[in-house]
Amino acid sequence: MTTTAVNSSNRFDTSTTQIGISAVVLAVCLFVLFFVISTSMIQEMFGFARQIEARVPTFFARMIFFVAALAAAFFLITGTSYYKRNKVAMAPWLFLALGLGFFLLYVIVPIFQSISYSFTRWDGLYDINGVWTGEWVGLHNYKVLLDDPNFYTSLKNNLLWLILFMLAVPIGLFLALFLNQTVTGIRVYKSLFFFPFVISQVVVGLIFTWAYNPEFGLLSEVWSWFFCEMKENIVGNMTRVCSVDPPSILGDENMATYGIIAAGLWPQIAYCMILYLTGLNNVSSDQIEAGQLDGAKGWKMLWHVVLPQLKPATFIAVVVTVIGALRSFDMIATMTQGGPFGSTNVLAYYMYDQAVGEGVGRYGYGSAIATVLFLIMLVYISYFLWRMYMDEKEAR
Amino acid sequence: MSFSFTKLALGAAIGGLLSGAAMASDLVITFDDLNPDKKAAYEAAVEAFKAANPDINVVANNGDREAHKSTIRNALQNDAPDVITWYPGNRMGPFVDAGLFMDISDLWSSDPNLSEKFNAIKPTMSRDGKQWGVPYSYYQWGVYYRKDIYDKLGLSEPATWEELLGNCDALTEAGVTPFTIGTKFLWTAAGVFDYLNLRTNGYEVHNDLTAGKIKYTDDRIRATFAKWEEMLDRCSFVSTHATMSWQDAISPFAKGDASMYVMGNFSVGQYKEAGLTDEQIDFFQFPEITAGLPRAEEAPADAFFIPAKAKNVENAKKFLAFVATPEIQGEWNKSIGQLPPNADAGINTDDKFIVEGMETLSTAAGLAQFYDRDAPAAMAKAGMEGFQRFMLDPSTLDEVLEGLDKVQEEVYK
Repeated sequence: MTTTAVNSSNRFDTSTTQIGISAVVLAVCLFVLFFVISTSMIQEMFGFARQIEARVPTFFARMIFFVAALAAAFFLITGTSYYKRNKVAMAPWLFLALGLGFFLLYVIVPIFQSISYSFTRWDGLYDINGVWTGEWVGLHNYKVLLDDPNFYTSLKNNLLWLILFMLAVPIGLFLALFLNQTVTGIRVYKSLFFFPFVISQVVVGLIFTWAYNPEFGLLSEVWSWFFCEMKENIVGNMTRVCSVDPPSILGDENMATYGIIAAGLWPQIAYCMILYLTGLNNVSSDQIEAGQLDGAKGWKMLWHVVLPQLKPATFIAVVVTVIGALRSFDMIATMTQGGPFGSTNVLAYYMYDQAVGEGVGRYGYGSAIATVLFLIMLVYISYFLWRMYMDEKEAR
Repeated sequence: MSFSFTKLALGAAIGGLLSGAAMASDLVITFDDLNPDKKAAYEAAVEAFKAANPDINVVANNGDREAHKSTIRNALQNDAPDVITWYPGNRMGPFVDAGLFMDISDLWSSDPNLSEKFNAIKPTMSRDGKQWGVPYSYYQWGVYYRKDIYDKLGLSEPATWEELLGNCDALTEAGVTPFTIGTKFLWTAAGVFDYLNLRTNGYEVHNDLTAGKIKYTDDRIRATFAKWEEMLDRCSFVSTHATMSWQDAISPFAKGDASMYVMGNFSVGQYKEAGLTDEQIDFFQFPEITAGLPRAEEAPADAFFIPAKAKNVENAKKFLAFVATPEIQGEWNKSIGQLPPNADAGINTDDKFIVEGMETLSTAAGLAQFYDRDAPAAMAKAGMEGFQRFMLDPSTLDEVLEGLDKVQEEVYK
């Protein structure tokens, strides 16, 4: 009886000390964080003439106190008797808390923010007192959007991207089947095929922009073997004269989007190929042999024996390709900036263009586009999550 | 801790209130051009200012021009320097309306230079009847052409629309594309549109259009586009213009495949870099279209502004007054090959383009800033896309103009 009392009082004591100290540390850290550290203070301390020079040291000073506050909060919570009684249930949430906090702050909150901006007319500015300069316009932006030909062009291009980008899956499968053999140096070939995926999207965009250039691009060079000759022009310089002008792929509203998609497919095919190559490693040789015994060959073998085993790889390939198609922004930004006259915009780029790009500053309108894009993606994301959920349920 | 509190209090006093005695000797300037000549001219002017005001501690910053277009928003709202560069005309509109620029009308009325020598450009620097900035440079637009090709074909500088079309016919016949242009970044097309519009309808219509008072489907604007169609027809532009930047478009001009370029004077340096000499290139004003119309010109200006959050306002005003003096205006623009807005400033008389530009602008009936600076950015973007579309396919004209009317209705509310 006495021993338990001593024990429990001891435990009680450590907890109180822990809670006490961490509460004090937490309070001090929060106080310093919110009321003491400021850019102007750091600016003064180090004698910077401009506030902007004080930003980095301020950031680090704040980070130190922020991390200290987090640690204090951690010890504060783990010190409570409630936590001790519900350890198993609480611990995961404690570890998730930080991540969830940032997710809430940087993903969830902005979603609602931009939805709320979509009901306003706003040029993105706050006045000198920090007062928001926009005005509430209700559904006006959506009405304008429904009447905006550029919106439909962007929507159509989004669909084109989604549909044509899917070509990466069968082509990637084909390449994977082709490369899935044991020849000397196959690793070299495999890595050569995988190479485009390693290059940044921006570089891919630039390479294709040059290749497509109707003046000096690869395409126009090849073109000029067939249709052009060199002639001396009026001032005596050699110049190219063509019977049929080389196609100006990125300068023609009917071809430009296809040109960019082709460029985007190049690394995407490599990605799908690598997914299938790993998938093929796991195809069971027993089943192949069994199929062979039953007389399956070629397409039949592929369709009935190999592909069903590649189902997980196909699922991932489709998912990453859809995501890739929605991430077309970089390619468009490097290759055409949405041009000629907006004909290669997709919703994401059009949104950027209207809100942020070149100071156009229609933040309300841009937010309306973003909201529409969000709703479209929500359909896909919900399906994906539902599918994952079902799979896990089956696995259990 | 008490140490921090004093610092905090001091910081707050500086941040929140007008410049106190403690910081009176600072001046922070943000400039936006890293091109070697522009950078050097700016630095030279800053050095001269330092020499004239040894008690002021000048912090001169400089950054990329395109990046500045987006960073200025943050700078004006959160971390304002004392002096910042921006564009006059409608481009300063959003910042003026949000109260982020400081009204410097008092400087314009008290400073001997600003009050008397800047009359031509004063309307451009004004909004709501007040002045907001001080221009340090501007330049002319017009037609740059290959004089050697013109001479070879026995052509002369056209003064009227008919003469220009005649020249184009002769050039086309000789296998030379009359005009080069690169519309990938859109604004070059706006230069052509502006000139056609200024020459067909005049300065007032340009201003009314960019101020949203005239519809794009208006008969006067349609007349402008009719001239443009005539131009596309007889004075064809290089066919691949939609994939080229303005610099790319110099290549056919330098090679002699194209003979004319509607451009600003900043392009001259690039022609010379491409291997052309003063003898090979020359300049003429865009020819007359409607006879007897007062001649207006494009003359985009670059200017300094004081953010409303500036901490050293007195020093900032001192700097602006210093930049407005004829000596600084002259030196600055001589080294960057542009024109000084101060009427008393000297120019580089060895540069024929500058001499001709001064002549062009000083005799102009009105100075336009440029379509994308006179019109609000959202309108300008849509407008220039429309121009590019029209240039690629003139049959889309009605669709383009109706679309622009829709955007106009939305933007000018």
